[in-house]
Amino acid sequence: MHINIQSITPDFFTPASSEVWSKNFELLPNSKYLVKAVSGSGKSSFFNFLYGLNNRFSGTIQFDNSAIASLSENDWTSLRRNKIAIVFQGLRLFPELTAMENIQLKNTLTNHKTETEILAMLAQLDINQLANKKADTLSYGQQQRVAIVRALCQPFELLLLDEPFSHIDKAQITNAVNLVNQQVEANQATLIVASLGDTYNINYTKTLLL
Amino acid sequence: MIDTLLKKQVDKSQLIFFALSSSLGLAILLIVIQLFIDTRSVFNSENDLLGNQNLIIYKDLGRNNAFTDQEIKELQQQPFINKTGGFTHGTYHVLASVTLPNYTGISTEMFLEAVGDQFIDIKSTDWSWQPGDREVPIIIPKNYINLYNFGYAASTGMPQINEKIIRQIPIELKLTGTSQTKMYPAYILDASEKINSILVPESFLNHTNKTLSPNKASKISRIILDVINPSDPKLLEFLASKNYNYLSNDVQNSKLSYVLKLILSVVLAIGLLITFLSIYLVVTNINLLILKNKQTITQLHFLGYSKVQIAKVYHKIAFKILGVSIIIALLISIGCKFWIAPYLEILQVDSTLITIAYLIIISIIIFIGLAVYYRKHTNSKIQQMLRPNTSLLTTEN
Repeated sequence: MHINIQSITPDFFTPASSEVWSKNFELLPNSKYLVKAVSGSGKSSFFNFLYGLNNRFSGTIQFDNSAIASLSENDWTSLRRNKIAIVFQGLRLFPELTAMENIQLKNTLTNHKTETEILAMLAQLDINQLANKKADTLSYGQQQRVAIVRALCQPFELLLLDEPFSHIDKAQITNAVNLVNQQVEANQATLIVASLGDTYNINYTKTLLL
Repeated sequence: MIDTLLKKQVDKSQLIFFALSSSLGLAILLIVIQLFIDTRSVFNSENDLLGNQNLIIYKDLGRNNAFTDQEIKELQQQPFINKTGGFTHGTYHVLASVTLPNYTGISTEMFLEAVGDQFIDIKSTDWSWQPGDREVPIIIPKNYINLYNFGYAASTGMPQINEKIIRQIPIELKLTGTSQTKMYPAYILDASEKINSILVPESFLNHTNKTLSPNKASKISRIILDVINPSDPKLLEFLASKNYNYLSNDVQNSKLSYVLKLILSVVLAIGLLITFLSIYLVVTNINLLILKNKQTITQLHFLGYSKVQIAKVYHKIAFKILGVSIIIALLISIGCKFWIAPYLEILQVDSTLITIAYLIIISIIIFIGLAVYYRKHTNSKIQQMLRPNTSLLTTEN
């Protein structure tokens, strides 16, 4: 997805000078971006703007040359199903559902992956044995990996990862990064990772300091 | 899966309670509607106890008690009077003779009147006359038959008669006007409970008045009024101000009808009130359910579930409550119909099964109406919840 950002600033707080706020830049398909910032500088707000959860900003964001301000509720629903995948900082899993149910809840919208493929992805992140455990019985790191797999269970052109590996050990981060890279490449998508500082050994096209 | 997630907060006992309270309200509504339909004939009929929408007025005796054209016009202009019909009377002497085999003939002087057909409670194809017809139909007051049967016949040993036999009795009318006398064979068509007069078709009276007493004008001394409500105080005040008399019995019957209608209306209002309250309860409960699931709903929406998909879960709940309520209400009202039927028979109401068809149609209409309302309401609640920038959507920064 070709994303064109023109001088956006949030309306609800005054951000410090950065490479994102009040700047014009593009995010291109088949590219990987790192948004690096300290806590509280507006990483999640930036993601919320891109995911359509918040529209309290000035400036313009365009997806493939059309301004997102003009998108309808249905357009956003369709984008969230078919074009934009996200791992929220707060994960937003349903604690009462099992890991597999959480993933299937997303997957059934498009039937993008088979159960075998999902299990293979879980296995890649070493959590396949937890598939039938309720989300609230998993550690935060395990939940993060479930959320990553869930985000990959849809077709996407833009993958937003908001501090996705914060509670995962190094070995598993490597596995997760490999999985993410594979899927991003398979989808020829744009990847945007928000991080407090770690680069997670991803080969970024560009790093944006926020 | 979305169903299980969204229904986790549903308190089934609460929903059952709401379904029962709605069904109570709806049942009262349906029962009253059914009573209105079943007793419609009682309220509307023209000769029955409750349906007397006519009032016969006349002036005090002993003075010139004919109504002038001006007075009739004034009556017609009153908003509480629908129609007026004058009683025209024959301008000739009438001698009626009856000859029964084996009995000495009876003959009596009498009179003939006519009034517009729409005011007569006897509907019969035989109620017509034109020159050349063999016989003249006559309608007499029911009281006359009673007087004859229980008074005259009982004391003189004459046979008692009923409305069927009475048709067989040949009557000879001898009409003596100012210019000529004529004989007409006649028979009694029926007996009226409403009109206390001896009636012949208007065409007969007009014809005989013209031919027998061409020089005499017929006067209108009694007027029958078709009114919205005979016990309407405005009507009674108007009649009193004009010194017009009426039979208080008519007014009392109308009062009874009015009271019955009032009672049905009050019950209908109670039914409506209970229905509204229970609908309000169901709506509030659905609101609570949506609010309780706010987090789940917003998270599902993030994942790509549309508002329609989410709302459908709540529609199903609402439709189930509504469906169960209406089916229970319908069963109660049909049960009541059979329970009330014997009592209605006393009022000479034929409680037909068509009412059940009406009830089912009304239930379907209520179901569709309320379902559309619930749907709209749920949609707007969910829409409100999923607007961008709601706190749950933007807690991370």
